[in-house]
Amino acid sequence: MAAKSLTHDAVSTLIANPSPNSSSVLPEIVVQVLDLKPSGNRYMFNASDGTKKLRAILPSNVSSEVHSGSIQNLGLIRILDYTVNDIPNKSEKYLIVTSCEPVSPALEMEIRSDGSRDEGGVKSEGGAGILLKPKQEVVTKSAVQILHEQRGNSAPAARMAMTRRVRPLVSLNPYQGNWTIKVSVTSKGNMRTYRNARGEGCVFNVELTDEEGTQIQATMFNDAARKFFDKFVLGKVYYISKGTLKVANKQFKTVQNEYEMTLNESSEVEEVAGEASFVPETKFNFVQIDQLGPFVNKLELVDVVGVVKNVSSTMSIRRKSDNESIPKRDITIADETKKTVVVSLWNDLATNTGQELLDIADSSPIVAIKSLRVGDFQGVSLSTISRSVVLINPDIPEARRLRSWYDLEGKDAAMDSVGSGSSPTSNTGIRSVYSDRVSLSHITSNPSLGDVKPEVFSIRGYISFVKPDQAMWYRACKTCNKKVTESIGSGYWCEGCQKSDEQCRLRYIMVAKVCDASGEAFVSVFNDEAEKIVGCPADELDDLKSQEGEDNPYQLKLKQATWVPHVFRVSVTQNEYNNEKRQRITARAVVPVDFAAESRIMLEYISKMRS
Amino acid sequence: MDTSNPAAFVNAELLHFYVGRRVRALTQVVRSDGGIVIGKSTDEKQLVVKGSPPPAPLTTFVEVFGIVNNDKSITPDIWTNFGDAVDMVSYNKLCQLAHGEYKHLFL
Repeated sequence: MAAKSLTHDAVSTLIANPSPNSSSVLPEIVVQVLDLKPSGNRYMFNASDGTKKLRAILPSNVSSEVHSGSIQNLGLIRILDYTVNDIPNKSEKYLIVTSCEPVSPALEMEIRSDGSRDEGGVKSEGGAGILLKPKQEVVTKSAVQILHEQRGNSAPAARMAMTRRVRPLVSLNPYQGNWTIKVSVTSKGNMRTYRNARGEGCVFNVELTDEEGTQIQATMFNDAARKFFDKFVLGKVYYISKGTLKVANKQFKTVQNEYEMTLNESSEVEEVAGEASFVPETKFNFVQIDQLGPFVNKLELVDVVGVVKNVSSTMSIRRKSDNESIPKRDITIADETKKTVVVSLWNDLATNTGQELLDIADSSPIVAIKSLRVGDFQGVSLSTISRSVVLINPDIPEARRLRSWYDLEGKDAAMDSVGSGSSPTSNTGIRSVYSDRVSLSHITSNPSLGDVKPEVFSIRGYISFVKPDQAMWYRACKTCNKKVTESIGSGYWCEGCQKSDEQCRLRYIMVAKVCDASGEAFVSVFNDEAEKIVGCPADELDDLKSQEGEDNPYQLKLKQATWVPHVFRVSVTQNEYNNEKRQRITARAVVPVDFAAESRIMLEYISKMRS
Repeated sequence: MDTSNPAAFVNAELLHFYVGRRVRALTQVVRSDGGIVIGKSTDEKQLVVKGSPPPAPLTTFVEVFGIVNNDKSITPDIWTNFGDAVDMVSYNKLCQLAHGEYKHLFL
């Protein structure tokens, strides 16, 4: 430390011994280089010891050090060999530095020992970095000097606010770069790595909120990300400046702001000392489990609250994009709608929060989760993202309500998975009747749909007609459902099971006319779906058919099926028939209309039309 | 069909636009006693209906047709039971759309 400080009264020492003998031992002389300027191939400067200054020259052999940057203006040098000469015709002296070595690069400012060396002793250190001037001095310093001080890395934040006015977040725009904001970190994402055409990188975002409540998302890449990741702590307050703003990408919008901020390495982030850190109370907007349908595969995130019925163990999933292994845990939650849904917790939520839930699973804890993505696995599924927040047994009214419902009736109630009402396994995979929703005319107006491979859509429509005299069913083997033929003798022969059976079952295979606001189409319907449309199994309908009488109950039954609305999952393929390509629509699943869910879908269409 | 006095779809917030006029509002019954029914409107605010419901029991959700009084309560004409499960949010959105951009379709 002492080596790095200015030698007290160095100038006097130099002057007192103007021509030192090269063999004598020189005292330690360290001076600060001020006003360094080139003169020919030499450099002139003022050597300062904090009290006095002496004009000095760095001869050409030393110039290279200046060029290389090891000797800098405002830096410190140790004088190893020198001569002090008089300036002709003046009473001043000047110093020729024949040999020196740099001690420190440029300091923040000129060091002055203005007689306040006794205070704190900090002054005489003159070390590289900050000069913490005693408070009284601030009053006498000029604005320029205060600004000089601020360039230090650890300048107390108070000075930042003093000279730079803090602006409200709402006033930021990309056209004015000189701003400082005071914000708290209300959300901090994980560090993500990515690979693109330019190579690899890492990125993370934070959500910042200022005192007025305005929010903005800030993103950092690569070096800036690494620099600031540990600095940003959820709940703490920071002064931030020198970020760049650009119009936010609405697709990835997480907060309400037209702009989003990017921080790079030259941005400044300073923690505000003494500001109480707070994590704002998480605001929830819960969606009941049975209302999740319309959100499937949409960008909108949902919040849910429910009783934890099951917690799985941690699984490790390998991400295809970069082969990274991520922990995952599935929990099943239920709410008063008596529906259950599986929530996949990822990363930390799987390992830490998930473990917590597993430990207390027997007590049927209530869990409230914010910002979930809705997927269509097994009909409807929920998945956490980096900004999801999971609260266990939170102290909010919805949780209390759930608790009392569960204790009274919920724990014994029979529950259904919310996805199961939608679509059973079919050869197109498990899908929800809320995804790929189209109008009938979309299908009928496009004859080439499904020519390569079957295309799947969902439709809401009415049965407009079921032709009574069509071949409604086929005789099926009771074991394998394949078509049976009448065998010689009695009974029916099943080719698949290679056996004969006295009895067979009738299974539906029929065509129904379906219509919606846009048009109508014939849809082929197989047994399970037809049963839902007609309302009874084929065997029963056959009985009704064979009944004679005025009011044929068979016709009546079919009539009752008309004008009933359903939501269908259909697949569209191309069939060749007499050298003609025909579109064939087959119902893969039929579910009753959930009017609340359909209303939501329609509201979404309306808002899409308006925007 | 008498279209001379159409009732506007309202929630608590929109009531003051229709004072003295005929409205319809969905409400979740909170309390019903002595000639007054207190309910929760579709936008989560209190709705006061000054009238006695018909003798048949009220379900949890009820839609009321009536005139809006000066004190923003409703004097009911017709009570319709909506059952025990109704999506209040959709009704609320309907009120907002019917009052705003699409008012000409309704009134």
